[in-house]
Amino acid sequence: MKVVAVIPARNESSRICRVLEEARPFTQNIIVVDDGSHDRTSDVAREAGAVVLRHQINRGQGAALKTGTLAALRHGADVIVHLDADGQHDPTAIPALIEPLQSGRADIVFGSRFLGLQPEDMPSWRRVLLHGGLVFNRLALGIPRRITDPQSGIRAMTANAAWRIPFSQDRMAHASEILRLVTRSTLRWTEVPVRVRYSAEVLAKGQRSADALSIVWELLLGAFQS
Amino acid sequence: MTVRRARQQAIRWLEALMWMLLWGGIGAVIWRPDATTAVARLVGIGRGADLMIYAAVIGLLIMVFQLHVAHGRIERQLTELVRKKTLDEWIGQ
Repeated sequence: MKVVAVIPARNESSRICRVLEEARPFTQNIIVVDDGSHDRTSDVAREAGAVVLRHQINRGQGAALKTGTLAALRHGADVIVHLDADGQHDPTAIPALIEPLQSGRADIVFGSRFLGLQPEDMPSWRRVLLHGGLVFNRLALGIPRRITDPQSGIRAMTANAAWRIPFSQDRMAHASEILRLVTRSTLRWTEVPVRVRYSAEVLAKGQRSADALSIVWELLLGAFQS
Repeated sequence: MTVRRARQQAIRWLEALMWMLLWGGIGAVIWRPDATTAVARLVGIGRGADLMIYAAVIGLLIMVFQLHVAHGRIERQLTELVRKKTLDEWIGQ
């Protein structure tokens, strides 16, 4: 099975090298989508041997993931893995993540931060915020209760599943949109525990309360538009 | 001013007409504030001034919503354009 990782990146020249090194043993190809970076993210990724695509202007993580996913499909990928560029996601989780796809019991797998593995240094306010997101997803978007981590950025899917999820949210609402599209289709999904590594940098960059509100807003509007 | 813009094709004539009616309405209200009270009583609101405010708020909210939807469409088109260029450049390598 050809496993291709898709990593959207914006101004991650300092961190992307490590992610690429760690992900390499578990993937046949790595596609980095440079989403309008101002630093040397593209060059660094290319030097590290990744296939690099570049959005000339920043369009958002969701947009970059979709571009990368389309490229991966054209590259002949059988399995596509989505990963963050800042090192938050531990690439050694990839084998566990794709196992349900390989054994044929699921079409798409989401990594969950809340299935038992303790996150390294997750601050309590963030835990509360994520839990709030969970409740919102269940109530407002009709996503089933079984999902434990609706905002997870790490996921794996078969090429067939990738074709059947035409998500279009450009920015941070894409995670919830993917979830909604999957649960309303006949695709079989499952969750796998993953460990997340939080550092001061990652926390500073991560989703703030304001972002959570804008995600809500984007999804509400998305519901009206589609 | 509105007529000049319409001549410049910045806005269509129908729109220009609507905006001119709006300016005219505002002008009439400034000229004769009592006129609004008569209309307000028809609808069941005490003061003409209150009616103006309610109407303005509703109108503005509708406008904001339309702008937001239009903005969303433009953003999506922009992403599609950027994506097409990105993929074309990649294939060309």
